[in-house]
Amino acid sequence: MVFSSIEFLLFFLPIFFILYGLTPNRCKNVTLLAGSLVFYTLGERRYLPLLVVSVAVNYFVGRFLGAGVKDKRVNDKNKNYSKVKYKNQNGRGYELRYRERNRREWRKAVLFFALMGNLGTLLIFKSHAAEEALPLGLSFYTFQIASYLIDVCRGDVPAERSFFKFAVYITMFPKLVSGPLVSYGEVSEALDNRRMSWRNVQHGLKLFTLGLAAKVLLADRIGLLWNDVQVRGFESISTPLAWMGALAFSLKIYFDFGGYSLMAMGLGGMMGFSLPDNFKTPYMARSVRDFYRRWHITLGRWFCDYVYIPLGGNRRGELCTVRNLLIVWALTGLWHGGRGNFLLWGILLWMLIVVERQMQAFLERHPVGGESIWKQLSIFPHLYLWAVIPVTWMCFAITDVRELAVYLGRMFGAVPQQIVLRNDWSRALQTYGELFGLCFLACTPMVRRIYRRCRDSIVMDVALAVLFWICVWRIMAEGNNPFMYTNF
Amino acid sequence: MADSRAVNGRLSGRRRKRPSAADKIYPMLLVAFGCICLTVTGSWHVYTDPLLGGGRKLFDAFSASVSLWSDSHSPAEDAEDADSSGGQQNSPQGGESPGAEEAPDDQQNTQPDGSQNEQPDEPDTGREDETEPEEPKGVSYQTVEDDYFADAVFIGDSRTVGLFEYGGLEETGTFYASTGLTVHKLFTNKIVPVPGQKKKKITVEEALSQNQFAKVYLMIGINEMGTGTPESFLEKYAECVKHIQELQPDAVIYLQSIMSVTGERSEQGDYITNEGIDIRNEGIAAMADNERIFYLDVNEAVCDETGAMIPDYTHDGVHLKAQYISLWKDYLKCHAVALDDSP
Repeated sequence: MVFSSIEFLLFFLPIFFILYGLTPNRCKNVTLLAGSLVFYTLGERRYLPLLVVSVAVNYFVGRFLGAGVKDKRVNDKNKNYSKVKYKNQNGRGYELRYRERNRREWRKAVLFFALMGNLGTLLIFKSHAAEEALPLGLSFYTFQIASYLIDVCRGDVPAERSFFKFAVYITMFPKLVSGPLVSYGEVSEALDNRRMSWRNVQHGLKLFTLGLAAKVLLADRIGLLWNDVQVRGFESISTPLAWMGALAFSLKIYFDFGGYSLMAMGLGGMMGFSLPDNFKTPYMARSVRDFYRRWHITLGRWFCDYVYIPLGGNRRGELCTVRNLLIVWALTGLWHGGRGNFLLWGILLWMLIVVERQMQAFLERHPVGGESIWKQLSIFPHLYLWAVIPVTWMCFAITDVRELAVYLGRMFGAVPQQIVLRNDWSRALQTYGELFGLCFLACTPMVRRIYRRCRDSIVMDVALAVLFWICVWRIMAEGNNPFMYTNF
Repeated sequence: MADSRAVNGRLSGRRRKRPSAADKIYPMLLVAFGCICLTVTGSWHVYTDPLLGGGRKLFDAFSASVSLWSDSHSPAEDAEDADSSGGQQNSPQGGESPGAEEAPDDQQNTQPDGSQNEQPDEPDTGREDETEPEEPKGVSYQTVEDDYFADAVFIGDSRTVGLFEYGGLEETGTFYASTGLTVHKLFTNKIVPVPGQKKKKITVEEALSQNQFAKVYLMIGINEMGTGTPESFLEKYAECVKHIQELQPDAVIYLQSIMSVTGERSEQGDYITNEGIDIRNEGIAAMADNERIFYLDVNEAVCDETGAMIPDYTHDGVHLKAQYISLWKDYLKCHAVALDDSP
């Protein structure tokens, strides 16, 4: 079930939150868990057992890993005591230390196999199943479980003792299906103790409304142009239309995913969780590096914490950094899908990032006129980003590599056009021009700034309430179809 | 986002006061506007349907989710199934003609005779006789050039829009086509732009009564598949053909078959299936009298031997890609009827 569906907006959302609100504080986790399972079941009941098994197994793995860590801490605390106690019994002290080390090895082995099991399952599904058949949310909850296990094993967080709370952490429906990826440390406090107040509900609902509007009124509408381009066939579009199509997809994926993350944050906020922000106006970035610090932040953070830094990060010389980046981006590509085009997408981004790193290093060594060149030519970095990112998105969007070659060829005029409608791009501009303008505006920090300033004013309340129902009305009109193409 | 800080319990924890009215205003506004919205758009059935008729549906969804391993399709589809099957009795869209649908009561949809008896004012000459010996009688076709379409009008949905845009007939022929067009709205939707006036559009009915054509090409029927039954569709289709004939008494009317979809699209699990298309096409074929009304099986040009659209020709399984529109157009050019009275 997607958030932007009638079933969710008019049924699940009110019913769940009324029940949740009525539940006494002690039992709120039970309601949330039940609600999340219902939510998942309504979306995909085939793979519910996989989710349940995954949560159950990993709970016990976590307990095992956590138990070891706790022992170590206790031993640290009682070090003096044990020293005294075993002062004259060197043999037993040695044995204890030996057992401890043995145990640490065991923990590592268990962690290794648990990660293998989790990520291996993900990999099997990614490589074998077609994109549609991937179990709902698998990529997200697997990564969350992995982060939890690693954190527990490292001793960063204590293992969750309550099965309920662990299950809630993994399955919590706002973030179950497509993130944000929340680390256990971020929500462990809220799992124990959180407040659902009118204030939270109100702010959460407002965020939810903004996300819903981004999804329904921007992403779905601009996505029609991308769909239109695909239906025509890539051989038969003019070069300007090819660029418009790429731009439309870039905007669609942002408002789609960004809107979803915002909705997730809103829903979490209503219950008193503070979920991390996934997007920070990425299209305002001035380089690809910058872009991916603002785009799907929680995934970037995951790869940084659990892959990039353990590999040595950027502290072992430039060559090693470049290698680490390559690994991270190849894995990021793989995470998005098992097909060749995603790998290509990752590699392309890696190349861009490496080039940017070199450029920056060069500019720092040879400063031009005291100021960095990038700052003087403030518009060019933006233009560069807007030129490069749509191209990389095309590698992401078109899963058939042959088709992808045709599309990129059309973008750069390298592939001859077959039958092209004269002025197809100006017709598209007539239809979608205003929408493009609106989307560009929504890419700037302006919307957010306005929202933050007038969040509590009655005008904003009314405007958002109207917006919410406009979205609902649109969804009803479009037939409640996530891909909105009900009419031919 | 920074707002998450406010959403977080901390802020409210700091101000230990009773919730003021200002904190409740947004949820209240939402409910109030919701009532207004549902009333204005007449959408209360979203809630009332599941409560009244769909208690069964809820139960189905529940029992389906209980039997986790029993089958593989999702409850969303269940809901749709329930919709489309229930649609014959009580769907809001199909509500216009349910009486006429249920009266024949025979589901052997290949026989349009049943529905024909429903319409006494359907005097198409010798249609019953024509249905059987249609093949033997034969129609002689000739191959023509583009200028054949100079006095032709193409009426249809988004696929005909594709023919308009990429068939190279933009200048030659006339197109009354619009995305999402159905037989139910064929004459009432304002889709035909008026030359000279930028914004104004008129209905196909008005356009057809203002202009006379020698040939009318009609391809319509894929958008209707979600509502009603093949019988109700064919009934409406026949009405449309009859009305076109009244408006264009001298025209040859070509009824093009509804173009099939790809096998993949057909098996996707929603209402669009090639079986449904075939049933409708048989009914459409039976409407041809081979004197003024002819049936053209366009699928011969774009389908493989299983009767499904060839996957290479399409992105979404429904629309031909621009570069393959010519297959369709060439088929039409090869299938111009040689009329006895034509020179």
